Amino acid sequence: MNGIKGLIVKDLLNLSHYKFSLLIIIVVFIGLGVSSKSSLTFMPIMLMTAIGMIGLSTFSYDEMSKADKYLLTFPTDKKEMVKAKYILIIGMIIIGAIVSIIATYGINYIVYSEIPDIEPILTMVLGGVFGISLVEAIQIPSVYKWGAEKGRIQMFVLIILIGALIGGLVFLITSAGLSIQFDTNQILGFIKNFGTYILIAVILLMYFLSYKLSCKIYMKKEI
Amino acid sequence: MILEVKNLNKKYKDFQLKNVNLSLPKGMIMGLIGENGAGKTTTIKAILNIINTDSGEIKIFGLDNKKEEKKIKQDIGVVLDDSFLSEYLNPMDINKIMKNFYQNWDEKLYFKYIEEFKLPKNKISKDYSSGMKMKLKIAVALSHHPKLLILDEPTSGLDPVARNEILDIFQDFIQDEEHAILVSSHITSDLEHIADYITFINNGEIVLTKTKDELLDRYGIVKCSEQEFKKINKADYLKYKKNRYEYEILVENKNEFKRKYDIQIIDKPTIEDIMLIYIKGEK
Repeated sequence: MNGIKGLIVKDLLNLSHYKFSLLIIIVVFIGLGVSSKSSLTFMPIMLMTAIGMIGLSTFSYDEMSKADKYLLTFPTDKKEMVKAKYILIIGMIIIGAIVSIIATYGINYIVYSEIPDIEPILTMVLGGVFGISLVEAIQIPSVYKWGAEKGRIQMFVLIILIGALIGGLVFLITSAGLSIQFDTNQILGFIKNFGTYILIAVILLMYFLSYKLSCKIYMKKEI
Repeated sequence: MILEVKNLNKKYKDFQLKNVNLSLPKGMIMGLIGENGAGKTTTIKAILNIINTDSGEIKIFGLDNKKEEKKIKQDIGVVLDDSFLSEYLNPMDINKIMKNFYQNWDEKLYFKYIEEFKLPKNKISKDYSSGMKMKLKIAVALSHHPKLLILDEPTSGLDPVARNEILDIFQDFIQDEEHAILVSSHITSDLEHIADYITFINNGEIVLTKTKDELLDRYGIVKCSEQEFKKINKADYLKYKKNRYEYEILVENKNEFKRKYDIQIIDKPTIEDIMLIYIKGEK
């Protein structure tokens, strides 16, 4: 267990170089939320995406210094190394989600003098967590397989593909004369239909499968 | 024995470790020599269970290196030439990390080395010279009181003064008869200073493993003409190299050779001479 702690401390110390960039991102997104009320609908997702995705950059630090080989000379093993990455990355997403909820709630309360309904905020953030988790659950095994650089390219390809897919669907729907409107109530309804607990279970399942796949890839990998 | 490698085999597409055998007793320093790509680092990686091996047995402190991996690694200090923690960390950060990994991590000793090596505590290692980076790696490797040091090119990038300092530290480390060092190096003169055993690996095979004294005192390089060379029995030499004006012949026992043949020029070889004739020479 101490090995996992050491690995997480190493990643957190590496990430501490991001603290000013992270602070700027938080300030910019909060500023966006303050500037107009409509921005408040997408601000939490952007904020938590920015915080949540930072965990992935620790792979680049390790790759630059070829740290994997060195770390494996410590009293740890490949399984612990994979586990530590997942704990860190999931932890960063949870922190991102909490910061987003507090920021959204706080802006509504302080700037717009409203006591907001917490449920739509939670729903929005949960949707965001699902989106980021989907990307990361695919991204992490691919980084273990191909490395941080190629893995990052694949992440962009994946995002572009998802964007193109959604864009294509929207185009088809609007071409067919159907109107689409997204508001929190619709998303809320959607999630209510499937159930928040199912969504959480799906997120956990995604990470579990992703972790198992990463372990399998990394155990076989020649370093 | 502190380290025992038996019949280690590992096959890659274009390279193979073949039946590697090593034995390192307590209180000894073994120098692992060989050209680039000969298998030194692969052997070290196999010992540390960083790579999966095809067959063979590796025991460290009498324990299986796979089954007792974590226990064993508590007592091993490692320096790798091309791999370390992120360059964006400073010695203070590294201390925070390392104390989580090693039960015997000695913060005082670590900072004593940092001071001794004149490494700035708050400067990230990216801003260090290559010599300073190597000293930092060595400080980290020594600060959990390891029993075995495994060093891959630890003196590369160091100036002669720093190299001497480091070699002295290794020799101090070995004074306790419970410790041992396995060190791979291109700088064979360093090994001549500190090593008790020399193991030469070529094309994935151990070509020779001898005590340094045996190697330097018994081995010889005979220099002779072509006519003289033709008279020498093939069984009496290990390898030969044809130069422009003479033949250089590596013999295992120079005194015996002197008795058998009337050739007077037999030089005392350096480790580098032996390595070069083995690699470039013919039989």
